[in-house]
Order: sequence, then C-alpha cells, then structure tokens
Amino acid sequence: MTEPQTLVEVKDLKKHFPITSGFLSRAKRAVKAVDGISFVIHEGETLGMVGESGCGKSTAGRAILQLHKPTSGHVFYKGSDLTQMTPEELRARRTDMQMIFQDPYATLNPRHSVRKIIGEPLVINGRMKKSSTELQDRVAELLELVGLDPAYMKRFPHEFSGGQRQRIGIARALSLDPKFIVCDEPISALDVSIQAQVVNLMQDLQEQLGVAYLFIAHDLSMVKHISHRIVVMYLGKIMEMTDRNTLFEDPLHPYTQSLNSAVPIPNPEIEMNRKRFILEGDPPSPANPPSGCVFHTRCPLAIDECITVEPEFREITPGHFTACHLADRKGGSKIIPPDPVRKGS
Amino acid sequence: MSIILKVEDLVTKFYTLDGVVNAVNGVSFELSEGETLAIVGESGSGKSVTMMSLLGLIPLPPGKIESGTAAFQSDAGLCDLLTLSPEELREIRGGQIGFVFQDPISTLNPILTIGEQISETLIRHKGLSIEEAREQTIKLLSQVGIPDPELRYKAYPFQFSGGMRQRVVIAIAIACTPKIIIADEPTTALDVTVQAQIIELFKELRDALDVAVIWITHDLGVVAGLAERVLVMYGGRPVEIAAVRELYKNPKHPYTLGLLGALPSLEAKESKRLESIQGTPPDLLIPLKHCPFAWRCDFAFDRCWEEIPPLITVGDQHRAACFFDLEKGGPRDD
Repeated sequence: MTEPQTLVEVKDLKKHFPITSGFLSRAKRAVKAVDGISFVIHEGETLGMVGESGCGKSTAGRAILQLHKPTSGHVFYKGSDLTQMTPEELRARRTDMQMIFQDPYATLNPRHSVRKIIGEPLVINGRMKKSSTELQDRVAELLELVGLDPAYMKRFPHEFSGGQRQRIGIARALSLDPKFIVCDEPISALDVSIQAQVVNLMQDLQEQLGVAYLFIAHDLSMVKHISHRIVVMYLGKIMEMTDRNTLFEDPLHPYTQSLNSAVPIPNPEIEMNRKRFILEGDPPSPANPPSGCVFHTRCPLAIDECITVEPEFREITPGHFTACHLADRKGGSKIIPPDPVRKGS
Repeated sequence: MSIILKVEDLVTKFYTLDGVVNAVNGVSFELSEGETLAIVGESGSGKSVTMMSLLGLIPLPPGKIESGTAAFQSDAGLCDLLTLSPEELREIRGGQIGFVFQDPISTLNPILTIGEQISETLIRHKGLSIEEAREQTIKLLSQVGIPDPELRYKAYPFQFSGGMRQRVVIAIAIACTPKIIIADEPTTALDVTVQAQIIELFKELRDALDVAVIWITHDLGVVAGLAERVLVMYGGRPVEIAAVRELYKNPKHPYTLGLLGALPSLEAKESKRLESIQGTPPDLLIPLKHCPFAWRCDFAFDRCWEEIPPLITVGDQHRAACFFDLEKGGPRDD
C-alpha cells in the first residue's frame, strides 16, 4: 500500500473570540473556542469530528478554511500555509476547498434559481461565462451527479424538500472540483430516511471524485459510519484521535468512553442490558474552562494531577492519539461501567 | 393491566390558505397503566399533532378535530378527552396528565423563578398553600436531580443549562403525580451525554411513580432502551404497532424495515452501505386514497394504489397496515 498523501495539515490552531465590555470595548477575557488543535487529513479520506455543542467543532472547520481568521497556528494545504497568504492568494486557493452547511434552508439564496446557485462559483472564478451553454451543461452534469433531474435548474429553492436542498448545496460545493470539503453537520437537519440518502451520496461522490471530507457532526453513529478516522473534541481541545474501529473498541480517553456509552443503540436486546456509564453535569462554559485537563470536572478517574497539569496530546500506540494523563500509566484510563439496574430487579 | 387511555380513529385537519392539511388521518391506540409507549415518526408524520389533539392544544381554527374518541380513565371516572369543555380539560392537563416538550427554554416562563413555576402547578391542581407548595417543590427538585434545591428554588430559567431546565420541566410534569406523562421529543435539543442523563432520570421516575409514559420521538435508538411498545407513524397514519423487541427483530411494514436499515450501526466493524428509503414523505395537502408509503415502497403492487391498508393483526400483539407479507415475499392473503 502506498503511503497516503497529506492534503491538509492543521498545526496548533487556535481561535479565541474576545469578550468585550465597557465603553472602549476592551477585551477582558476570551472564549477559547478552538484552543490548540493539530491533525492531518489525507487525500480522499473522511476525517470525522465529533463533540457536543460548544466544543468548537464548527469553529474549527471555519478556521481551517480561513472563514474565521485563526488567532494563532497554521493550516497547510498541500504544503502552503493558508494563514500566511494574502487575500488574493487565498481566494485562488479557495477553489480547492469548499464547505457544505447544516441548514439547507438558510444556505441557498431564495431569489436565485438553482442554475445561478450552482453556476455562480464557476462564473465568479472566471472559469465559464455567464449564460453560456458550457455553464448550462456543467450545471446539468452537477445536478445529475447529486441525483437531481437537470430540468430542475430553472426552479427556485422553495420548490425543494430539505434533502433535495442539501443535494443542491453539495452540487454547488462540487462545482469547482474541490479536493477538500468541510461538511458542517450536513445531515442533522434532515429526517432519518433522508439522512441515509445524503450520506450514501457523499460516499459515492468520494469514491468517484476522490475528494477528502472533514465531516463535523454530533451524531456519533453516523460519524463512525462515514469516517476513516475520527477526532473527538471537548471544550476546544482534541481529546482523542484514531481510526473509526479503535475509537469504539478501545477508546482511551474517559470522555470518548462516556460518549460511546451515551449513544443509544437501535437494538432493544443490546440497549436494555447494556452496561453504561453516564457522565454527570454539563460541559463547562468555554469562556471559563477548567484548569489542567478540561475534562477533569466530569471525569470519574480524575486524579490531583489532572486539576493542575494539562495533559499532552500524544501518540499512545501507532495512529492512536489521546490527551489523558492515565492513558499510558499503570491501571490505564478505562472506566468500568456499573451493572444495569432493571425494572423489578 | 387496565387500560387508562384508549384513542380511536382520531382525525385532525388544518384549514390553511394553501388548502386542507391532513395532519392526522385515523389514529387508534391503547395505553395501559404504567406502560411506556413510544410514538415514532419523521417530521410531518402527525405524531405531535396526535398528542396536541388529545390535550386540546391545537389552535382552533385553523385546526379542527374531525372525528375520534379518546377515553381517559380519570380520577372522576371515564371521560372523552375530545368532548370535554376547556375548563374540564384544564383540570386534567398538568394534573392527571403531565407533559414534557422538546425545548425547555420555551416551555418555561423566563420571568418567573423555577420555584414559582413548579409551585403554581401544585397550588392550582392540588390546592396546597404557598408554604406547603414550596416544601413540596423543593422535594421535587431534589427528586429530579437538581443540586441545592433550596437555593435553586429562587433561580430563573436562564441560570440553568439545557439539561437542568429539562429536569425542571420534568419536575412540573410529575408534580401532581399524574397517571400519564406525555413527552414530545424531550431529549432532541440536548447533547448526547445530557440526553443519556435525562433518559436515565425518566426511567427512574417511571419505575418509582408507576406512571404511564407516551414518548414521542424520531430516534429509534432512544426507543430501543426505553419503550415497551412502539407505534410507528407515517403520513398521519399508524403503520405499525408492536412490542419493542418484536418490532426491531421482526418489522412487518416496509417503512419500519426501511427506517431500521437507514440507521448506521455502532457495533458493525465494516460499514455497510445504508439502505436509504428513496423519495420524500407525502404532501399532506393531498388527501390520499391509497397507501401513503406506496411511492417510496419497494414492494408496492396494484392493491396498494387502490385502497388504504387498514391496521391488521400480523402477530402476537403486533399490527401493521400493509397488504404485502414481507415474510412470504408476496401479497398477504385475506
């Protein structure tokens, strides 16, 4: 097997939003939405990114595409640093990197026809002339690619269902033949039966076009389904990163273990007798994160060191990274869930 | 076990400027004492409208309950929820039937303390004095797992996180020891670790209070660990009803089969391609003369386009509305 080629490399990326107050809007503190994350995405791969609301997963996706100017850190795309580029250089590079958004109702301009929505990137980037037959053919081709009738190009967004709109959003993202697409919760606004359609489409397109995805979502089972490797985030930091099967079979970080345990499994035989560990409390505010390990306030295994010393994000076994002090110590970082308590027992 | 709620042939429509929306088209089900029934469906399946109709929460107009009965075994004897006066219904709502809605922030009043909101229910339905209600409220707060209940009594909803707010809403729902709690997507707005907490709390309370629960959701994962029986709805109609284990193991309606196939598995090592259901749910503006799922169904044949399949018994405590026998691989004979 050939070594997979690195497409995107994220190095110690940070995005802090200042909290301003007072007459001069002085920044007093900052919300550390993304606080030092590093990973690579290979060509043609899907990297899943999961976490609860407020963990910084969407901000991370936007900061990678430079839609939010990062506070510090670097994002390399094919070796060149996006954070150091001039706006012109960046614009030229952006054609390779696209985004699919969560809400298919808010991301399509209601006054534009489907042809205009999908064709606009091609026109703006000077690849094709407005109202040329070439453009028309390309839009038709893209519509067919995402499973819509090319005759739909004259229609407007309100004439489509949520799933169809998401397909239009995908067609638009594909119009410039990108190599990398950030998908920010692309299916969470859709019904279950439609989710499967869109996920299958995304997988087919990856196979055909070799595009890499950063798939951001909170639905762990869907992320596991579509991803090759998965990053687990909590309060702006990466807790664990490994391939999809290891993350579920041998999770090292206590947070990953509790996430796995919290996901309901659609099978009553398993679900009713499952040994599960349920986290207490809510995630703390990213404006005021805990000291040391950000997870220590909810971690059942936390020791004194976790309160004061921030654990290093390091490789424990090849390809398996985690940020937990206990992961490579005697005793390990595994939570032993209690036996389930059943009705009547 | 005795039946405390029996809904028969409920039909609810909305008369809008765009036409008549056929939201609920003949729903029937029973609920026994202490039982947990899950109603599963996608958006527009009529699962929420069904519950709102029973509780008189449908705005009339544009809504109209066209037909049906809902026999509820109340403290005062058997009554039909659909024919009660608004005053009589108000006695039952919040008292003998409690609710939990999806979004706890819009359920709670932002300018009243949570203590006042829980006490209000107790004073209104149980006739307690303010002092007694306060004592009871503090007990309820600790029962739903809110730390420092005495301090939190005076807190406002904005001072709570989403999960804590949902606990407050649950405290209101159980305040008057109801016979039924109706929970409409109570965990959908919550994060997965908080969702697990709320589900666990529900199970504890249900077992402790022996209350019947109707749990409305789109999430077949949550249902698997919680419900005893499941009603699957599609296009405003019940399409399948069965005990939870039976439904997952042995689905008899192609829609249920499709829904289960569309879910990714956490257990599987290799990810199989998801079996998606083609097409989209039916437009409720068009009154149907045939099976609402026929367009999307791989098994549809002539009869499915000619008449609406009724719910028929297909197994022990198992009913489905389909003319096709999935086991036999051909039309059902009857």
